[in-house]
Amino acid sequence: MKNVKNVADRAYKKLYAPVDYYQINNQIPEICELKGIEILPSKLAWERYSWTKKYFSKKPKSGYFIWVKEQPKSALFTCISIANKNIRQELQNLLVVEKDLKVELQGACNVLKKNLAGIHQTQGKIILKQGSVLKYNHIHSWGDRDIIEPDYEFFLEKKAKIDYNYKILSSPKLLKTKTLITLLENSSANINIVGNFSKTKAEIRESLILKERGASGIVKLRLVGSKNSEITAHSQIKAQAESKGHLDCQGLLIDKTAKISLIPELICENKKAQITHEASIGKISEEELSYLRTRGLNEKEAINLIVNGFLEN
Amino acid sequence: MNYPALKGEVSLPACRQAGLQASSFSGFHFRRKRRDIAAAEINYIMLLEIKNLKVGVKGKEILKYINLNIKKGEIQALLGPNASGKSTLAQVILGNPKYKITEGSIFFNKKNITKLSPDKRVKLGIALSWQNPPVIKGVKLSQLLKEISMFRGSASKHFNYEKQLLEREVNVDFSGGEKKMSELLQVLTLEPKLVIFDEIDSGLDLKRLGEVSEIIKKELLAKKVSILLITHSGEILKFLKPNITNVMVAGKIICKEKDYKKVLKTIKKYGYEKCKKCRRPSI
Repeated sequence: MKNVKNVADRAYKKLYAPVDYYQINNQIPEICELKGIEILPSKLAWERYSWTKKYFSKKPKSGYFIWVKEQPKSALFTCISIANKNIRQELQNLLVVEKDLKVELQGACNVLKKNLAGIHQTQGKIILKQGSVLKYNHIHSWGDRDIIEPDYEFFLEKKAKIDYNYKILSSPKLLKTKTLITLLENSSANINIVGNFSKTKAEIRESLILKERGASGIVKLRLVGSKNSEITAHSQIKAQAESKGHLDCQGLLIDKTAKISLIPELICENKKAQITHEASIGKISEEELSYLRTRGLNEKEAINLIVNGFLEN
Repeated sequence: MNYPALKGEVSLPACRQAGLQASSFSGFHFRRKRRDIAAAEINYIMLLEIKNLKVGVKGKEILKYINLNIKKGEIQALLGPNASGKSTLAQVILGNPKYKITEGSIFFNKKNITKLSPDKRVKLGIALSWQNPPVIKGVKLSQLLKEISMFRGSASKHFNYEKQLLEREVNVDFSGGEKKMSELLQVLTLEPKLVIFDEIDSGLDLKRLGEVSEIIKKELLAKKVSILLITHSGEILKFLKPNITNVMVAGKIICKEKDYKKVLKTIKKYGYEKCKKCRRPSI
């Protein structure tokens, strides 16, 4: 326990910011008390609030429950780390934002060493009540022996808004993501998924359901295939009412051993809906590379700058 | 036409309108003049020396036995019609791997840089302002300047020139003038010893051209930085008054002339066709 605590302290310091929910391996998390915001381990929330049972698919083993009841004064931070070898995390996270509140959430999931061969499985549910707004920056950083399976569902009530940025800073051995966003009347979603994959097999699935009138959503994917990576991205927009949606999927291959498959899918069930997509996979332009090299950058530095620009764009 | 001067240091005249005497260019005089120039050059520090450079791309010969010397603090111009090889020469000096040097060599500060990578050439002090710089999506100009200034120069001290460009992505939706200012800013950040300006005057109105010329004078010429001005129209020569003006046609430098006005006058009046017909060496 002492060792875990030390590792936790080190990891905590690395974050340079106070964390409201911090879980390391499967140990009891450190939780901050905030006025108007209830943060609990999911297991405890299941016992305390019976209404959570409709969101958790089964009794949670670990993970967080965050219930935002009053307007937070600052951004919320969560961090879930793996610190030891062969750890399996089975998380069930639930975030509920009450009506008309604006919340910013910074969530990090990571390993503290690159060779831990951990398994991180998450089932997350994010419920945005009427008129609420969530900006969620979700950062993942893994080692090349880890298996990562995040499965997130966003449910947006009337006039709710989500700006979700999922960024993979360091890719695992296997990544399987599922993201389902359901939008009700006049709600909107801006989903950005970016990652630079090296020695990774990645299967990325998103589905945006435009369920009610006036819903709108954009899904943007920026995927970089580096050495020995195989990426498949299946992106879907389903319009069930008069609504608007757009898919923007772009891949960049920077190594001959990399492979990217982009599969955009549009399903329209309402004649007044407008859904579009664009998809492309390319390589780094020789001209851009030459240009940056005439600015004194070596080949690696120039490629890094182009890749970072691609992921930011 | 296998003209002897093409293989040596001495070049051909702007044209007959230069008013030089044909009799002074017999073989004997020609060789003596060449020696005189060589002797005079000993007193200067030669920064860039291009010797008998032959360059091709995909098997097609583009540059044919180019000889070009630029001294420290000197400003030279390179004029020529479209597709004459001017920009190719600029790219070759910077080491663009797209172009293959089949013969000849390039020296910078007495160091043979013919096989050096572009970034190493830049670190030695060569900078290029591109004619048509590519778009770098997602990278702000301020970011690029910071990257550049990591190994040389300081980005911040040149920021006064074009502050509004800094937070925009490099060359994305830049106007012609903005591209030129962005290039100038990057070049200044590199704190170079030699700058090649590839068509810095194209797409600039007279006011903007005057501003760009003033910056070049203040930030480069005043600091004894050498300059090679590649230009199609020659407008910028009136502002910067080069020491030597070279004319390139079909991959060959066919003329070197001290008086840029003579070259401009001829080109304006007769076009580059006249230069092709001209058979007299100058300088």
